[in-house]
Amino acid sequence: MSEIETNDYQERLDRISELFAGLVAQAESVSQYRCPYRDRNDHCTAMFTCRNQQPINDDPEVLDCGNDGTFDYSDAWQSHPRNRDRMKHKIETIRLEGQRRRAEGDASGGKP
Amino acid sequence: MATISDIHNATLRDEIEEFLERPEEIERNIELFSRARLLMQDIAVAVIEGDDGQVDRLTRGALDQGIEALEVMDDGLIAGMGIVGIKFRENFLFVPEVLACARAMKAGMAHIEPILMESGVKPIGTVIMGTVKGDLHDIGKNLCIMMLRGAGFVVVDIGVDRSPDEFIDAVEEQGARLLGMSALLTTTMPNMGTTIEAFIDAGLRDDVQIMVGGAPVTQEFADDMGADGYGKDALDCVALAKQLLTDDRV
Repeated sequence: MSEIETNDYQERLDRISELFAGLVAQAESVSQYRCPYRDRNDHCTAMFTCRNQQPINDDPEVLDCGNDGTFDYSDAWQSHPRNRDRMKHKIETIRLEGQRRRAEGDASGGKP
Repeated sequence: MATISDIHNATLRDEIEEFLERPEEIERNIELFSRARLLMQDIAVAVIEGDDGQVDRLTRGALDQGIEALEVMDDGLIAGMGIVGIKFRENFLFVPEVLACARAMKAGMAHIEPILMESGVKPIGTVIMGTVKGDLHDIGKNLCIMMLRGAGFVVVDIGVDRSPDEFIDAVEEQGARLLGMSALLTTTMPNMGTTIEAFIDAGLRDDVQIMVGGAPVTQEFADDMGADGYGKDALDCVALAKQLLTDDRV
């Protein structure tokens, strides 16, 4: 088994990265109008439940995507400003709670 | 000049005839595969079909036969993935299939890695990647993992719905200096903050660089959580991972 030169390997990594960058760009583009969990057979590959999932052929393991292609799932993350503010507050609370807990632990000699 | 009939693998011939439309791509792939060994053609087909078990078996067999690792990469793994890219661009494949093909390619690369180690080629670094507690979405994470592996990182994928303890355990077990967390939902995003706090509580925060990403995450949220970096997409993730490791070494 022969050795691999670093430069030769890096050249392959560069090609793979270029190839994958194209795949990612395409994935982002396609995901604007087609759920990324929907495969080429229109089966749902998600590990979570979705209102568009439809059982087929009495096989509980296989679910079709019943969406007509117009379902906008971006609500999941494009939240209203009010919700974003709530999450910002929640994240801030998590940090402050952590700081308070550690300060109490320090004060009690490392026993929170 | 080579012709399609010079390619021995019938499935590969069908793939080129059925799915490739651009003359320059047809010509390039005929040229490439016609000079490739039959075993390399078989590996390429297994990648295109997303059959990680077959890629694993064939790649191991090729290397055992003494075929050069770079040849396996060029004529088998990368060449197969090239066809996948074209089929994806033309909407013959979609994201789930592409990720399966990337996993199949990884199964082949796993046999190349020991040769790299023996040759003194070290991976850029090890990254732990996972989706936070309460979140079962994995495509964003998986695209990041694909890009990171493609760039030469060793990636340990701990999956979805992972608790802070599971992230901590993975970092400790692997001795990783880099951790990536993903969330798709606004409601699960704060669990990134909870995980970062858990690293502080465990006394490990200074030992690991933490990057966060996912649709609802912004630089502002990342800063609020105390993350070391925010990647807006899978391409950004690789640049960020390289940057954080460089910073870590300073």
